[in-house]
Amino acid sequence: MSNLNTKATAQNTYDAIVIGSGISGGWAAKELTEKGLKVLLLERGRNIEHIKDYTTAMKKPWEFEHRGRITEANKATHPVQIRDYPYTEFNESFWVNDKDCPYTEVKRFDWYRGFHVGGKSLMWGRQSYRFSDLNFEDNLKDGHGVDWPIRYKDLAPWYDYVEKFAGISGQAENWPALPDGQFLPPMEMNCVEKSVKKRIEEKWNKSRIMTIGRTANLTVEHGGRGKCQYRNLCSRGCPFGAYFSTQSSTLPAAVATGNLTLRPFSLVNHIIYDKETQKAKGVMVIDSETNENIEFFAKIVFVNGSTLGSTFVLLNSTSAEHPNGLGNSSGQLGHNLMDHHFRAGASGRAEGFDDKYTYGRRANGIYVPRYQNMGNDKRDYVRGFGYQGGGSRGTWHEEIAEMGFGAEVKDLMSKPGSWNMGLGGFGETLPYFENRVYIDKTKKDKWGQPVLAFDCEFKENEQKMRIDMMNDAAEMLEAAGMKDVQTYDNGSTPGMAIHEMGTARMGRDPKTSVLNKWNQIHEVKNVFVTDGSCMTSAACQNPSLTYMALTARACDFAVSELKKNNL
Amino acid sequence: MAQSESSVNKTKLNHMNRRDAVKSVAFLMAGTLSATTIGVFLEGCNPNPAPNKNLFSADQEKTLAELADTILPDTKTPGAKAAGVGPFMAMMVKECYPEHAQKVFLEGLEDLEAKSNKQFNKSFIEITAAERSKLLNVVREETIAKQKAEKDKTELEKKQKQSTIVQKSEKEEPGKPLAAKERYKETPYFFAIARDLTLLGYFTSEIGASQAMEYIAIPGHYDGCVDMKPGQRAYSS
Repeated sequence: MSNLNTKATAQNTYDAIVIGSGISGGWAAKELTEKGLKVLLLERGRNIEHIKDYTTAMKKPWEFEHRGRITEANKATHPVQIRDYPYTEFNESFWVNDKDCPYTEVKRFDWYRGFHVGGKSLMWGRQSYRFSDLNFEDNLKDGHGVDWPIRYKDLAPWYDYVEKFAGISGQAENWPALPDGQFLPPMEMNCVEKSVKKRIEEKWNKSRIMTIGRTANLTVEHGGRGKCQYRNLCSRGCPFGAYFSTQSSTLPAAVATGNLTLRPFSLVNHIIYDKETQKAKGVMVIDSETNENIEFFAKIVFVNGSTLGSTFVLLNSTSAEHPNGLGNSSGQLGHNLMDHHFRAGASGRAEGFDDKYTYGRRANGIYVPRYQNMGNDKRDYVRGFGYQGGGSRGTWHEEIAEMGFGAEVKDLMSKPGSWNMGLGGFGETLPYFENRVYIDKTKKDKWGQPVLAFDCEFKENEQKMRIDMMNDAAEMLEAAGMKDVQTYDNGSTPGMAIHEMGTARMGRDPKTSVLNKWNQIHEVKNVFVTDGSCMTSAACQNPSLTYMALTARACDFAVSELKKNNL
Repeated sequence: MAQSESSVNKTKLNHMNRRDAVKSVAFLMAGTLSATTIGVFLEGCNPNPAPNKNLFSADQEKTLAELADTILPDTKTPGAKAAGVGPFMAMMVKECYPEHAQKVFLEGLEDLEAKSNKQFNKSFIEITAAERSKLLNVVREETIAKQKAEKDKTELEKKQKQSTIVQKSEKEEPGKPLAAKERYKETPYFFAIARDLTLLGYFTSEIGASQAMEYIAIPGHYDGCVDMKPGQRAYSS
């Protein structure tokens, strides 16, 4: 019997376990396997094979029965996913069944999840921006949250490294708050955007700039992957491999090493702590198809289950030594939950371009990096926001009466309508200790696990910022000559931006943070957490590129520590 | 996460209700989706839709096809009837709308038929295209008036509510100022649903997307500034 156990243990033992196969987990698997480690990559959901399983990617509009809309049956099983635009018939199968995976909302939190190999790397927005020292120093300067244990110089080479592999297209701007990177050629602005850019930069004498979105879409062939075909159907999965995803990029690299074992349907219930060594010795998995419990063992564990997925695993990994969750003697685990707040800005109509149109559907917009609370620009709140947006020519025609119909309406709607230009703010949220998740044992998921409860809200600093997000946008659009400029604030609930961060933050002091500067749990040195949960502040840039860089950096450190027998 | 693409779509739709923009499919640009329809679409669902229940009689299905063709008739390009929008509309109402909206839709359809009988002494499917347009315009104007009345009422309530909220502390109304807008709770309207589904069904049909509009499956490259060609059609996607 003991022989059998020993054999089973040996079969289930790897050098490293990576929990989660999304953006950061894919990177961890790639880096660790390329450094020679035998890696077990665990994914709670099904497999999705690159290209083959992108079942809707090549469908024509009329081949979707409901033309993109979701049915009453979809609404019944996906009551959270239906709250906002991402959940459609076009990639319906990429979104979680909320009934299987419930959670508790002490306050409303919109939790968008995709449980499958690749995770949200298949559906992400692909906007890829570096953080700058402005971001790494804000906490220290204004006293919100704790100081980041790293600075831009620590991460810069790793940004270079991940950008070169992932393929980020963009324009260098030499803008201090938004460092340039290793860019593929930028996508082109359209004629309205070019005009708006010119007029904004003239009016503010380049103290505000507008650049083309920096996006993980390939503008040229790169690393054996095809270039963007300008279909703008990315979130269905790209048959050309033209945007960065686990499937198109990191997974093939990890598989090529021969060192990877990918195990889908493997829901990690907890990390197994060994009090003798004071380290993790492995994980306990629930096979999400058979409900069987299986233990896997490794020298190091990378936790990449998405911010709140990872936080759940850590909170659920209790032991006599870690009664409140693994590495949680600080009491910070689950706290400081952040998301960007957005859905506030302005838009207007561009005149004078009626003889111009575009060709192709560019899966990208423009970006105005943060300029508030920098230099002489002072506001009545801390931090700031950037804008995403763009100009486009739709089929709206002034001549069409309200709810009009008939031959004339049909012919008008078949023609290009007015040009519009919009700017939508993405604002930084402060790390508030009281914004948190915790385990709610009164509810169970499909596999009998307790669930997360959310208690999180935006506050006064965010609210003040939103006023400027509207007014600055309107001011810039008016300066750029737009007509009928209108502002909007459609409200923003935490979770909606799908940039959740911060619940296992990095810091210098084990008393006030969960992770050290290497994304290593202060108290459990062979466990690394490198997804969004590690973020000490949120900045206002889209964060995924930073997760990639932090992951590659942590993998490099972990392997060098392993070699030194420090783990 | 999926923001960039969508924010572009969203921001270009300023003239319209923002919620439309958020929920509308990109190829149906501003102006085509009514808030009411979107609201119905978003609203609480019917968890046990009877899968094989026939919502519409055979005559009503004929009416739907003619109704769609009145909204988007044959012009230089085939209209909504040729594009199969009648059956599409019937299927969509059955599968994508909650029961109470289905009921409103059916009542609207019956009312349309009653109006036709009253005014022309004939069924909607028997009257001329011009007569159908005339009749439908009456329904359209009624719908606009009802929506406006409802909107005025909502705004009044909102104003009254706001003045009470101001007096409450942030603790009592945590997070309220930033609360995402409630899903539309407006009453569903027959004409708004019919028009919305006709536009959706038509401009995403093969005829609508590739004859009325121009469909390019794989553009291959992007050009941000091209000259409009004579007779330039809008792109579908």
